[in-house]
Amino acid sequence: MIELPLVFVGGLLGSAHCIGMCGPLAISLSAGAPAGVSHLRRQLVYSLGRVFTYGFCGAAAGFGGAWLSTGSRGFVWSQAWLAILAGVVLLLMGLVTLGLVPKPATRLLARFPCGTATWLKTFLTSGGWTGPLLAGVFTGFIPCGLVYAFLLKAGSSGSVWLGWLTMAAFGLGTIPLMVLVGGGSRFLSVMGRSRLLQIAAWCIVLTGAISIARGATQLNSTSLAATAPCPLCQPE
Amino acid sequence: MSFSFGKELSAAEVDYCCSGCRAVAGVEGAERERGTAASSLLRLGLAIFFTMNVMVFTMALWSQDVYPAQSFTSALAVSLRGVFRWASLVFALPVLWLLGGPIVKGVWQALRRGAITTDLLILLGVSAAYGYSVISVLRGSGHVYFEVGSMVLVFVSLGRWLEAKGKRRTGESLDALANLLPATVRRLDTHGNFLEKPREQVLTGDVLRVLPGERFPVDGLIAAGEASVDEQMVTGESNPIEKSSGDTVLSGTLNVDGDLRIEVTAADGRETVSRLIELVRTARSAKGRQEQLADRIAAWFVPTVCILAVAAGWHQGQTGGFDQGILTGLAVVLIACPCALGLATPMAVWTALGRAAECGVLFRSGKVMQQLASIDFACFDKTGTLTRGSPAVGRLLVTDPQQFQQMVDVAATVAAGSTHHLSQAILDFAGKHGSESQAAERSSVDTIPGKGLRGEVSTLGSVFIGSHRLMDESQLSWPAELAAKLTEYEDAQQVFVGWDGQVRGAFCFVEEIRSEATEAIEACRRLRLELRVLTGDRAGRAAVIGQHFTVATKSEQLPDDKVAAIEALARQGSVAMVGDGLNDAPALAAATVGVALGCGADVSRDAAGVCLLSNDLRRFPWAVGLARMTGRVVKQNLFWAFTYNCVGIALAATGRLNPIWAALAMAVSSLLVVTNSLRLSHYPESLSAAVDTATNVPDEAPQSLLSSGSAPAMSPTRNLAATPS
Repeated sequence: MIELPLVFVGGLLGSAHCIGMCGPLAISLSAGAPAGVSHLRRQLVYSLGRVFTYGFCGAAAGFGGAWLSTGSRGFVWSQAWLAILAGVVLLLMGLVTLGLVPKPATRLLARFPCGTATWLKTFLTSGGWTGPLLAGVFTGFIPCGLVYAFLLKAGSSGSVWLGWLTMAAFGLGTIPLMVLVGGGSRFLSVMGRSRLLQIAAWCIVLTGAISIARGATQLNSTSLAATAPCPLCQPE
Repeated sequence: MSFSFGKELSAAEVDYCCSGCRAVAGVEGAERERGTAASSLLRLGLAIFFTMNVMVFTMALWSQDVYPAQSFTSALAVSLRGVFRWASLVFALPVLWLLGGPIVKGVWQALRRGAITTDLLILLGVSAAYGYSVISVLRGSGHVYFEVGSMVLVFVSLGRWLEAKGKRRTGESLDALANLLPATVRRLDTHGNFLEKPREQVLTGDVLRVLPGERFPVDGLIAAGEASVDEQMVTGESNPIEKSSGDTVLSGTLNVDGDLRIEVTAADGRETVSRLIELVRTARSAKGRQEQLADRIAAWFVPTVCILAVAAGWHQGQTGGFDQGILTGLAVVLIACPCALGLATPMAVWTALGRAAECGVLFRSGKVMQQLASIDFACFDKTGTLTRGSPAVGRLLVTDPQQFQQMVDVAATVAAGSTHHLSQAILDFAGKHGSESQAAERSSVDTIPGKGLRGEVSTLGSVFIGSHRLMDESQLSWPAELAAKLTEYEDAQQVFVGWDGQVRGAFCFVEEIRSEATEAIEACRRLRLELRVLTGDRAGRAAVIGQHFTVATKSEQLPDDKVAAIEALARQGSVAMVGDGLNDAPALAAATVGVALGCGADVSRDAAGVCLLSNDLRRFPWAVGLARMTGRVVKQNLFWAFTYNCVGIALAATGRLNPIWAALAMAVSSLLVVTNSLRLSHYPESLSAAVDTATNVPDEAPQSLLSSGSAPAMSPTRNLAATPS
């Protein structure tokens, strides 16, 4: 997986984007902590929870991809097409972030965290390691365009293991910034954030491009092989 | 104050019909101890975390099924397979411990009562799936079903948790009412000091101090001080009322501006707000017809499902192997669990009862609500219902038009010496005509009981205001021009004014039609109710009202006649009688549903099935709309629950439904029923929007938007949910 480091960097820098949604949760994790507890440890446990969920979703996506490509084997090279789709979505995400493509008008589920906040608070404010871990686990499910784009990527790997690895790499990438934000650091100026976001966006564009290229290559090589052609595309 | 279903007992001490109710009790109890709720949520969260782990390893195992050719060739793949199976065992066991525990507790309590619940079967199925899988792992061959066991537990618990949350929300409006009362009071002790005490410790006869801006904690009499009191919460009257020593104050009403001492007449638990809450709670515990039906169905449903599950499991076991048999049986039990069926009616009715109480409408029971939904006829009492109880001056007749202003001034001067409601009406009339009574002369007014007033006015001598008889007895002569005019107004109640040997004029009183009555009657028509007015008043006066509203009117009805009229109508359909509850009691009792207006001052007055706290007649069609909407929601819920159960059982019994999907469907089904029912808590407060919602007539929407804008008395801010669907 040549893209894994890129995925990691995409997560690392792309998390500047996540601060908008997950940042407040991370901050309230520190704010709601019982006295005398290590903030760093709570933040790390919380982030591990998130990575766990990303990994789980990645594995599920990978399994879904595998199931799809086996189920449809023989007439559609679904894995290749999935890779191309993921690539296109990632590319678009990156370009939108860079401002090169206009933002879609709808803000999907922008209100979502409000609904979850009440019960997520129970986890965020409870002591021990279970609370922060579970808060992380459930934060991982919060809808996020970036996560979905990488999930498509994970799905295109067509393997539980590679899917898990992709999303884990992405998740690990998001840890440093989230921990810093949760710790209350304001080391990032608005300028700095937008610069980071630019680099992250290019990383995502690059990941997308590689994914498309891989899909295209796969499509080429399999079309050369003696696989049965799509029945719908047959001349007769 | 909490509204637990198990009163003071903790969740573990009481028997519940299902683990859903136990969960409710758990969440209810958590009101007192937040820790319990948090820990049960943590349990569920942890179980989900472990289940996700189980799923990852299961998916890894499944992917070997997807690529069987590649999977079994390498030694690494084979040993990985073993590791994954062990890993899923390790992660699945905590789920059984975390979520199975509460279910075991419930099943055990039910068994001690000799009851068999679906929980028992779910537990048996899940344990069998676990047991079979553990043996498979230990033997190193055979399928593992840990994902089934743990996912089923997670979905079942999640469904119950959501149910519990939903049930709790049905009581939120009542909690809001109870929370209005201050927790502590200032009580006068034996040394003459006011000390802060919890509200619960107040006794009848204690003296409390209530400061401006505070709500009265209990019912009482004002012992010292005066204040304006905002009684909107109880009576719906938005203008504050001036109260002073000796006046009654009700708990929950607001002392706007006075420093008061009150003597407690009804202590905590027996005062107005508590009685109001108690009424709603009693209403909730009384089961309606549909609820009883659901109970009866549930009674044979569970045993039938047990038999069906065992039979289907045995049959599938014969053809597909032991594990398939277990899975089939489990799927049948899960999909057939009558949770949604049991929730369908109470959730909707409870939410509606709470919403109604929030808007000042009390239903005695859910049954009354169902009856109100099906009424065909609505009969109205006239005086005090369609009209205001107190009359207003409609016209002042004078013998000499030049004397009009003098007549107003004189009458006002004398009437100021009396508190009779006709005197007050004369004063109101005089006020509108710019008259000022001479305060100095008020002392010289005598009341002649049953006849009228005699006042001494310096410039005129004795002035009489009163009945025809008083004029005759005072030897006042009747001018011919006045007598001629009077015949035109013979239907109206008349009060005469005379001095210096002659009757000089007459006040003709009219009943003031309630400003909101027209809107209310119009709304009743839109709800397709057939309307009648039943009144004890004379035919002429009744006809005026009948024409004003274009409603069929029966006049000169004695209480017995009203009952007979209602009974006659009842032969054609269900009848609701709307009255002020004082002189209509027999008619209210005779109707299918009796609706009493303005019972805010005494909420537990045993008058009618439906009690409108305020005098606002618009609440009647509003309540009918709510009742119909509730009926519709109940039908939707029952239809959904039945369809879901029947289709689901058919699929599951034939082995076409994985238990995971069955458990998910069970949670989703409960969630649907809860969510659908909770829609009622957003039933619009404004009448026009409410009727739109209840009648679902989209083409009338634009007009109703206009009319809701012109009804400032009802909060327009709550109308967001009013869009007709």
